[in-house]
Amino acid sequence: MIKIGIPRALLYYQYYPMWQTFFEELGAEVVVSPPTTQTVLSEGSSRVVAETCLPTKVFLGHVLSLVKKCDYIFIPAIRSVKSKTYNCSKFLGLPDMTKAVIPESPPILDIDIDVNKGKHELYQAIYKLGRRFTWNPFRVRRASIAAWQANLNYQQLLCNHSLTPPQAIERILDTPGVEPKTHSEYPIPMQATIAIIGHPYLLYDEHINYRLIHRLKQAQNKVLTPEMLTTEELESATARLVGRAKWTCEEEVVGAGGHYLRSGADGVIGITAFGCGPDSLMMDIVQRQAQTMTTPFMSLTLDEHTAEAGIVTRLEAFLDMIYRKKRKRICV
Amino acid sequence: MKVYLGVDVGSVTTKIAGLDENDELVTHTYLPTQGKPIEMTQLGLKQIKQQLPEDVDICGVATTGSARYLAGVIIGADLVKNEITSHAVATLQYTPQVQTIIEIGGQDSKIIIIRDGIITDFGMNTVCAAGTGSFLDHQAARLDMNIEEFSQRALDSSTSVRIAGRCTVFAESDMIHKQQMGHRIEDIVYGLCQALVRNYLNNVGLGKDIKPPIVFQGGVAFNQGIVKALQEELDAEIIVLPHHEVMGAIGVALLAHEEMVNNNNGSKFRGFGISEVKYHTSSFECKACPNQCEIAQLSLDGQVLARWGGRCDRWERSPSS
Repeated sequence: MIKIGIPRALLYYQYYPMWQTFFEELGAEVVVSPPTTQTVLSEGSSRVVAETCLPTKVFLGHVLSLVKKCDYIFIPAIRSVKSKTYNCSKFLGLPDMTKAVIPESPPILDIDIDVNKGKHELYQAIYKLGRRFTWNPFRVRRASIAAWQANLNYQQLLCNHSLTPPQAIERILDTPGVEPKTHSEYPIPMQATIAIIGHPYLLYDEHINYRLIHRLKQAQNKVLTPEMLTTEELESATARLVGRAKWTCEEEVVGAGGHYLRSGADGVIGITAFGCGPDSLMMDIVQRQAQTMTTPFMSLTLDEHTAEAGIVTRLEAFLDMIYRKKRKRICV
Repeated sequence: MKVYLGVDVGSVTTKIAGLDENDELVTHTYLPTQGKPIEMTQLGLKQIKQQLPEDVDICGVATTGSARYLAGVIIGADLVKNEITSHAVATLQYTPQVQTIIEIGGQDSKIIIIRDGIITDFGMNTVCAAGTGSFLDHQAARLDMNIEEFSQRALDSSTSVRIAGRCTVFAESDMIHKQQMGHRIEDIVYGLCQALVRNYLNNVGLGKDIKPPIVFQGGVAFNQGIVKALQEELDAEIIVLPHHEVMGAIGVALLAHEEMVNNNNGSKFRGFGISEVKYHTSSFECKACPNQCEIAQLSLDGQVLARWGGRCDRWERSPSS
């Protein structure tokens, strides 16, 4: 059986169930790289110039950890998933960049996803990818329909059951012995509701964000994430703040930020990667919005040199600020 | 006499403050940390003990600063608090109407925005320590003057010299260049103060709504040149409180008092005797997973008191266990 490697980084958190279904329907086996560790990060960093952003370094580290473990590595170039929105150049050039800096990588399966080019081009691209496994176009069609259904189910799990992507993926895979963590594992009386906004590859990679969600939950807070909002909620908040979204991932930052600043959260934390171009624009919009509102907002920047102490001190101070504010409001 | 102690172990200095039951400052000490947080905490406690009467009863202890967890284990803290909350609480005690707190310490700088007695926003410098006390110390040493003289000479400046403050590496080369050009040392020193203030306001203070009353604290508030430059840049009065250098310690002592009143289980303070014992620190690399975390451990008489530094809970030990 052909083994397809999928790096546990970047868009993995958004599309893994879809990709997995597609390849399995076509008779391949899917291998995912293990969670990020220091070794993964340092090996990824050693391949690129220092200016490359942290998520890309992590991604390359994951590709390196899949070398010799699979026959192909799946690296899509997601240009646009919505009309007239565009993705960061790092995503566009991901397959080529990987080829250039990791020559020992297994052959790369790539696909250009750009909905601006119309449905026909999109189907052609999917067929081209599927043809590597079968000559039967109907089989490819069946696999893509199943994959799309898996994606819809996944979105449903995230939104309706308030699961984080790793939890939802665990549930889909039904990993034996790994029970998804629920709120009940943490102390029951909740102190505050904190929304975290940002790209999934920053929010759910516990290594690079120093277990942010875990820390928040351990300090008795309810944690909200962008995936828990419906597409309509995200789109209407985005529209209110910037009009039409211009970046592929704009909703999960601007939309989620705009929504949670207005309702549902006692405080909002924005996570960005140092040197991220789109984030520097999007997080600034949220920051400006926050200044006109009463909900506290804090942005945390992650890079390789981020010290744990820096994250912990800021988090403690932010939570203290919210608790003291709440207590005072109750007293008055 | 009942006393609440606040211990602030920062990267450059160690501060201890003692408050009585009415939250009046009865004793305080200010020492250089010199990279020895344990020894300096012990020495500080020894000095505090000498300043307090024999019949003193330590009713609560809390720690803050970058070595707050370490100091907390050594002392037996009832509460461990971050620096932002500690500074804000102390400042609000002395100037309840404060709206902005500027704090510049040895290695970090912060801004705290307060409205109606509640923190509404804050900022801290990132990894870069440009524009903090250590850099001023270093430049004073390079100009062969002590920091008091540096502060004094900045005030004697007649025309300011523009120095790049974005990065201290550039600031230093810029300063040397200006010296070689023959500018007066007073003007260069004041130019440096202005550069640091600009850097602070453009980094830490970026996007923050700075409104008076503005309180300036931390060790750098001793520096009159910086106070003057801040005043000029913000066009507002800058309040420097007495004991501004121990505000963090005072704040955390106030929090210790509050904590002990709220849940009175008796203080966990290990006693002044801890100044005399020998703590042992060591570290090792955890081999359990590819993260290879460096675990630091603190032990006393062969018994491990605490471990930290891991990315998971494997080695974490709370001070009580």
